[in-house]
Amino acid sequence: MDGSGKTLTVLFSTKPQYPDEQKAWFTKTAADFKTLTGATLQWETYPTANDEMTRIQTSVVSGTGPDVYGLGTTFTPTAYSTGAFVKLGDAEWNKVGGKDKFVPATLGISGPDANNQIGIPFVSRPFVMAYNTELLKAAGIEAPATTWDEFADHGKKMTKAGQYGLAIAYKDNFDPWKFIWGMSIQAGNPIIDGKKVRIDDPTVLAAYEAYFGWITKDKSVDPAAIGWGNAQALAAFAAGRAGYFPMTSPLSIPTLDKSVIKGKYKYALLPLVPPGMTSRPSGGVEAASILSGDNLVVADYSPNKDLAFAFIKMITDTVAQADYYKIFGEIPTNVEAAKALQSDPLVAPALDAASKSVATPFSGAWGDVQLALTNIAVQTIPDLSAGSVSEASLTGRIKDSQAKAQAALDRAK
Amino acid sequence: MSSEIAGDTLRDEESHPAGRPRVPKNKKRSGVTERDRPLWLLAPGGFLITVIILVPLVLALYMSVIDLDQYTLRKWLSTPFIGIENFVEAITKTELLRSIWISVSFAVIATVVTVPLGVAAAVVTQNPYRGRAVVRAVFLVPYVLPSFVVATVWRTMLQPDGIVNNILHGAGIDPGLWLNGPMSYWTLIFVEIWAAWPFVYLLALAGLQSVDHEVHEAAAIDGALWWRKLREVIFPYLRGPVSLAFLLGTLNHINNFTLPFVLFGAPAPADVNVLPILVYVTSFQSFRFGLSAAMAVVSLILIAIPLFIYLRAVKLDVSEDGGKK
Repeated sequence: MDGSGKTLTVLFSTKPQYPDEQKAWFTKTAADFKTLTGATLQWETYPTANDEMTRIQTSVVSGTGPDVYGLGTTFTPTAYSTGAFVKLGDAEWNKVGGKDKFVPATLGISGPDANNQIGIPFVSRPFVMAYNTELLKAAGIEAPATTWDEFADHGKKMTKAGQYGLAIAYKDNFDPWKFIWGMSIQAGNPIIDGKKVRIDDPTVLAAYEAYFGWITKDKSVDPAAIGWGNAQALAAFAAGRAGYFPMTSPLSIPTLDKSVIKGKYKYALLPLVPPGMTSRPSGGVEAASILSGDNLVVADYSPNKDLAFAFIKMITDTVAQADYYKIFGEIPTNVEAAKALQSDPLVAPALDAASKSVATPFSGAWGDVQLALTNIAVQTIPDLSAGSVSEASLTGRIKDSQAKAQAALDRAK
Repeated sequence: MSSEIAGDTLRDEESHPAGRPRVPKNKKRSGVTERDRPLWLLAPGGFLITVIILVPLVLALYMSVIDLDQYTLRKWLSTPFIGIENFVEAITKTELLRSIWISVSFAVIATVVTVPLGVAAAVVTQNPYRGRAVVRAVFLVPYVLPSFVVATVWRTMLQPDGIVNNILHGAGIDPGLWLNGPMSYWTLIFVEIWAAWPFVYLLALAGLQSVDHEVHEAAAIDGALWWRKLREVIFPYLRGPVSLAFLLGTLNHINNFTLPFVLFGAPAPADVNVLPILVYVTSFQSFRFGLSAAMAVVSLILIAIPLFIYLRAVKLDVSEDGGKK
């Protein structure tokens, strides 16, 4: 392909933890791309999801802007609903090296169905549970929990003076909905079920009761956790003050390897059996994690679509993906590159989680559902502080969230 | 807008034949005559007002009557016109009215507290004394810090296990929750006051500088004691700057997005779901651009009415009175 004289613009999110590494990767990738196609690669970055949305809005309205976007997976449905990105047919998939080169599960949120896909998986960030091997051993726990009831039970066992069983980020703006969605889908409720939102389902109430119960009833979480985001929960776990830290990913390795628990932690799959049960009910899904990571999409106004696909092929090839993992710790979506990591026992559970990830419903209304689920947790924090959540107030919040999310789904086109 | 008015005036003037008998409007008029005023000098300002204020305002009004969301964004020019539906939804189905109430009440309380604080601080640093420069510099610290920094620092201090609660625990007080629940409203007011009072201080200080030296002397000769002097001689000078501070301060509080966003996050706890956060969530998390534009228009109208009454009452907008004390 001769792209000399042309410029391809790519929009990526910034990586605040690795600013220098990202800069170096940008430079190297641009040089490789120049060698490959003769075209110039221009990077643009966005620091927050808000800026990302603003950039997309402006580009969608004006019909000009970046050629390729790197998007968070859960944002892909919203991007799809704008209709501004190239739908991938066989020809497009072939240009990036074929669908087969990707781990099948990672394609789960590329589009509403296999014939209407816009997202090409770039990296996976599957959620796993970190555990402190010494604290588990000291409490006589042989293997990490596989059901949520067992998880709660282990939490209680590991709680004693100066240490808590669980590190949970109740104040995080994203974690709460991931717990609730995970437990619900394991009980067979995907939350968006056709044209109906099922937040007012008993499975969701059970999920919230279990999730809040760890701090109010079991007292296995530090009371200060009602003010924690994910980073603070990670810090508590890294300080050796908690046995389990669910809802993390291999991206926490650099932090943990610099902490006092270096060499004393491992990852495991999050529990796969919903609260109150000993096995998944029929219809329950073996969901280890939300399908999380980054997708690449090509703008349909782009005059450089072939260059865009050549670029995507380049950065999703085996070697490039392995390099990217080495620099940033993000799991490859490329089958070969992912396979090569299986020999690393620390990362193996994350690869397992990636293959057992389940996509959140592909709906333009998902953003509102996510917001509604998180809002229940936010408004319940005063109750957590007071030490108990009454079923009446929880049911009231659930009802309110159900109405808002259903209204959003009714608008979905 | 002024450019249009300017244009009309010019045309009016031109349309009158030169020989028409002129009615002397104002005998005291001097300098440049009304006829010869170089109104075209208003053009740059008029252009800026058009681009910066009028165009976005018209766009917002247009957005508020169409069904603009993530699904229709791409073809926004052909987005269906839905009249007042967004307004009906904003008022009946969202937290808009509650958010306006939270925003306005919080802003007024914050202003009512910051005004006396700012004036007092200005009075304290009016007369020269040793170390006055340092005091003046320290007073400006909250104003110089970016909102983002102020909010981050206070958020860290007010965490459930933060320094504030640790100190209160040490004193045997059970402090409870600052960043969520009913207390969060007062937290917001407190931090806003902390960050905003130097603005009033600066305006009041400017007002005090304009008090003539002779006025101080006259008051001293007449034997006025400090309180009487302050109340009857100095404060009248401050009426203009403080009225202005009251107005700008309140509007700044209402419009402050960064502080509540960083302090409480989004979605915000119900007690601090202020207007900017509500509009942000509606726009950028629910992608209801039309609805959020309607919210902005409703709040603009609701806030503009008392604003207008206030402007008439304190006569900040009447230039002839501006110089009077």
